[in-house]
Amino acid sequence: MRNGLFIASLLVSLPVAAFDLGGLGNIDLEKAVQVVQKVQKANADINESQEIDLGGGIASNLLGAAPLWDNPPVQRYVNKVGRWLALQTERPDLPWQFGVLDDNDVNAFAAPGGYVFITKGLLAHINNEAELAGVLAHEISHVLRKHHLLALKKGARSELMADLANDAIKSQGGDPRLSKLVSAGTDIYARGLDKQDEYEADRMGVVIAARAGYDPYGLPAVLQTLQSINPNDSNLALMFKTHPALGDRLSLLDGLMSESLADREGQPDLAARFVTELSAAK
Amino acid sequence: MMKRLGLSLLLLAGSSSAWAGDAAYTIRATELKAKPYGDAQTLRALPQRTKVEVLQRQSSWTQVKAGATSGWVKMLSLQLEASATGRRGDNGLSALFNVAATGRGSSTVTTGVRGLSEEQLKNAQPNPQALRAAKKYAVSRSEAEHFADEGKLQAQDVSYLNGGR
Repeated sequence: MRNGLFIASLLVSLPVAAFDLGGLGNIDLEKAVQVVQKVQKANADINESQEIDLGGGIASNLLGAAPLWDNPPVQRYVNKVGRWLALQTERPDLPWQFGVLDDNDVNAFAAPGGYVFITKGLLAHINNEAELAGVLAHEISHVLRKHHLLALKKGARSELMADLANDAIKSQGGDPRLSKLVSAGTDIYARGLDKQDEYEADRMGVVIAARAGYDPYGLPAVLQTLQSINPNDSNLALMFKTHPALGDRLSLLDGLMSESLADREGQPDLAARFVTELSAAK
Repeated sequence: MMKRLGLSLLLLAGSSSAWAGDAAYTIRATELKAKPYGDAQTLRALPQRTKVEVLQRQSSWTQVKAGATSGWVKMLSLQLEASATGRRGDNGLSALFNVAATGRGSSTVTTGVRGLSEEQLKNAQPNPQALRAAKKYAVSRSEAEHFADEGKLQAQDVSYLNGGR
């Protein structure tokens, strides 16, 4: 908003001399201001509290699809790993919330505002804390880069996103237009994000894990493990459909990591703690 | 108790890698090293598509057996063989978690039933109660820092890759 006013006033105050050619300038100027305001309105971003409300709605839908696993020790453990990772990022103070979904599907999800979920099915293929960290850090990166919000802005509900940004939709209080945005946000899980967003989350995820002191090779290790599962297993169907091929993700990480993260290889994977924490699972 | 102990043993047995014993092949020509370091002695040159048996992983290195020789190769020069049964890469937790061996069969996928298939996600209904339940497990900054200390994890200064933003 502030930006919009600034640009509008700039247009009004500055170019008078430049546009004042034969009296045509003023008309064009008005039009220009309108165009700028319109573009500005459509491009306005929702603020952090709107992001958290919208993300909460999407997370609530996700929990409607698959319940939270009733296993307090493991839920707590995953939250500790996740929050420690989030503290190493540019958005350390979002209300980060992690959870394990009681579902055999092999997948993980992020929602705007700091919601991150991993399925029990994926957790069963993870061997140590650094691998868990790699997966959570990939999802955290989607939140940091606001990939779901960008997808909503580019999608069929872009006008509703603009209305939310301009306070024409209240993010609390049950506005039906907000429900439409939440539904559109949930649909992204079925459709998938942009491929480039997934690659970016991989690149950032390994760095966030390394910043948190873990062996950065946890994420590629998980991706490699998934390559060994029968690709026709229906539990992998959605993850395969909505993500780039595992081989492509691994070869991109391989090149980047061997250049930049080679000196982090000695960092711990905390396999023993992972085993202890998950063995306490009831 | 019995169950717990059984699981711990199972997990510990495979803690360095659930892949132990898995078949893999090299996706490029690579060197079999005596130790998991770039400047370690090269035992053998392995051409592309050499079949190996996986022993364990350590960071970016995987210990393998190539014929009669054991040594280390870069993890990402390998691809694990996909298994027909879908049981590979399983850390032993799935038995405890009741994760089905082959997952839901396509015959049981029903629109509207809870689950994470494409169709089910499109028809998901909100569950605010579960969201509130999830919040109980949220962790504060100081709890997270304490948890890191316990694991001797130290925050590191690392830049994003690829001129990351």
